[in-house]
Amino acid sequence: MLFVELIVKGLVYGCMYAMMAVGLTLVYGLLRILHIAHAGVFALGAYMTVTVANATGSLALGFLVATAVSAVAGTAIYRLAYQPILHHAAFVPMVVSIGLFIVMQEGFRLIFGAYGIAFDTNPWYVANVSLAGISLTYVEIAMVIMSVVLLVGFGLFAGLTRAGIGWRATVTDPQMATSFGVDPVRVRYVNFLFGSALAGIAGGLVGLLNNYVEPTMGGAVSYKALAIIVLGGLGSVRGTLIASLVLGVVEAFGAIYLADIFDRDAIGFLFLIVVLMVRPQGLLGRG
Amino acid sequence: MKKGLIAATLAAAVLLAGSASAQIKIGFHAPQSGPAAADGKSSTIGAEIARDWINEKGGVLGQKIELVIYDDQNKPDQSVPIANKLIGQDKVVAAISGSYSGPTRAAAAVFQQARIPYISAYGVHPDITKEGNWAFRGVQLGQPQGKGAAKFIADKFGKVKVAMLTMNNDFGQSIAEGFKEEAQKLGLTLVKEYTFGLGERQFGPIVASVKNDNPDVIYAIGYYFVGGPLVAQVRAGGLKQPIVAAQAFDSMKLIEIAKDAAEGIYIVGGMDRGRKDPADFQPYLAEFKKRAGYDAEAVSANCYSAVMLMADAIKRAGSTDPAKIRDALAATKDFAMLTGPLGYFNSVGELYSPLEVTQVKGGQFVGVTVIDDQAILAPPK
Repeated sequence: MLFVELIVKGLVYGCMYAMMAVGLTLVYGLLRILHIAHAGVFALGAYMTVTVANATGSLALGFLVATAVSAVAGTAIYRLAYQPILHHAAFVPMVVSIGLFIVMQEGFRLIFGAYGIAFDTNPWYVANVSLAGISLTYVEIAMVIMSVVLLVGFGLFAGLTRAGIGWRATVTDPQMATSFGVDPVRVRYVNFLFGSALAGIAGGLVGLLNNYVEPTMGGAVSYKALAIIVLGGLGSVRGTLIASLVLGVVEAFGAIYLADIFDRDAIGFLFLIVVLMVRPQGLLGRG
Repeated sequence: MKKGLIAATLAAAVLLAGSASAQIKIGFHAPQSGPAAADGKSSTIGAEIARDWINEKGGVLGQKIELVIYDDQNKPDQSVPIANKLIGQDKVVAAISGSYSGPTRAAAAVFQQARIPYISAYGVHPDITKEGNWAFRGVQLGQPQGKGAAKFIADKFGKVKVAMLTMNNDFGQSIAEGFKEEAQKLGLTLVKEYTFGLGERQFGPIVASVKNDNPDVIYAIGYYFVGGPLVAQVRAGGLKQPIVAAQAFDSMKLIEIAKDAAEGIYIVGGMDRGRKDPADFQPYLAEFKKRAGYDAEAVSANCYSAVMLMADAIKRAGSTDPAKIRDALAATKDFAMLTGPLGYFNSVGELYSPLEVTQVKGGQFVGVTVIDDQAILAPPK
């Protein structure tokens, strides 16, 4: 029973990682930038959700504002920080991204205070349903549903719509896509809008899950999401999704059986090292 | 108009006279930026309240106390130059750490060498006082805290099965060691020990496993920001066992985060907010809330008491000679700290102080009992 419950909990956390990591992998696939500041957008989403929800009493409004603000912030990061330096070597935008992330973390601390913020009302936090001895809180259920809906929606967009096909074409061969009339700059904007909105929603949900939004909450997620996209074979959305779920489950077991040696946040990297030794191209990457 | 002018001149004269009179300089370092900034901010406010209240009552030895405050970013590589600066440039006669164990441990060595008395207000690493006889600790070491928790559980619940959830840093490990040692003597059964990192907020797997162990009591060691999500997730997982927690759960933020799930949990080494003594306790809580905008927790009270203790030692020494202050500190007997009476310091600068046990009731920390047992809480040498 414990075995099943650990798998279930692992998958729930995996869904959260997926919402974070997809945005990262999209950016990498398109621009070859390791977008560390994505974790800052994640924390921004959490802060927007909690401040708006506490001020207005409406969680839905909190999420709406968080989604919009995160999407705009992520796009602004692209326009103002990355676009002017795209012609430099790949490590230049990465250094900028790390710097930006630190600035954002300290910014949250200065604006919202060094102590984190809890939701005034968080009805889903402890409320739970119990199925066959496994209890899941409403927040955990919402996390799963939200990630499935959004990611399936994205899959349909990429597979069926004209804009989606244009986006995929740009990722595969930007030059060819451009000559077929796809606007690569627009694709980039759509990319950052969507990825950042997802990260913002994930941030809000994690804030609800912990009932605590803190300046450093992006920290652990930032490098874990990096591990995930490397595991998934940099740039592969499907690989990233699988890697997210696998990492969630591995961590859940690790938290119980490996915690004397590693804490949960280190397990992802242990797993990453092991996988890269066996499959240097990542789980689904092409060799 | 003329009156106003005279008043202004007088005020200026008083101000000038004030700044001209000699000051007793005490160094203070705490993290004011970075991840530990929250505790550092509280620490600093606590210390400043002590300074202001001492000065309002005329200071010490007829002189005002001046706190020379630096941000150590919770980094040892910052606290060492800060210590050197405090000694060489600011010429402090004593110093206080309002920081965690890492920076405090590093700075203690510098103060030891310069022979400046130093109090670690709440840093719990054993090595801080091992640097020599110039460092003192204003809080119990982890081990007696853990032993006290075992005693409380055995007294309250009998020879029960306990699952222990520990944070994997110095703080958590030292409390866990003391707990395990005493639990065995008292006939408690430790069914399983779980560890987690400081950054952990998702306890689903641990909760699932604890459910499987089915203990009688859950003993949790961690900071409030880990503790809040932890107790909420324990309750959300359907576990109804009593939770006993370590000192660092003591923060109103814990209740804010965990909400109803925090109800009923016990904190060994907590601070009973309804207590009437010492006399400055309730005024302190009110003043802290006024200055900080949020409720005081133990770390701020520790820093307040450390400054008060240092001032008291200077007064008893009758001198600002660091060696005499050190001797007076070492001779401290029955000093009223906000967190409980300080009985004495042992030969290595560790204090004896009873442990208060509190319980969360109606969203407040309420006193339950006090463990005052020399055999268990005596500071290790």
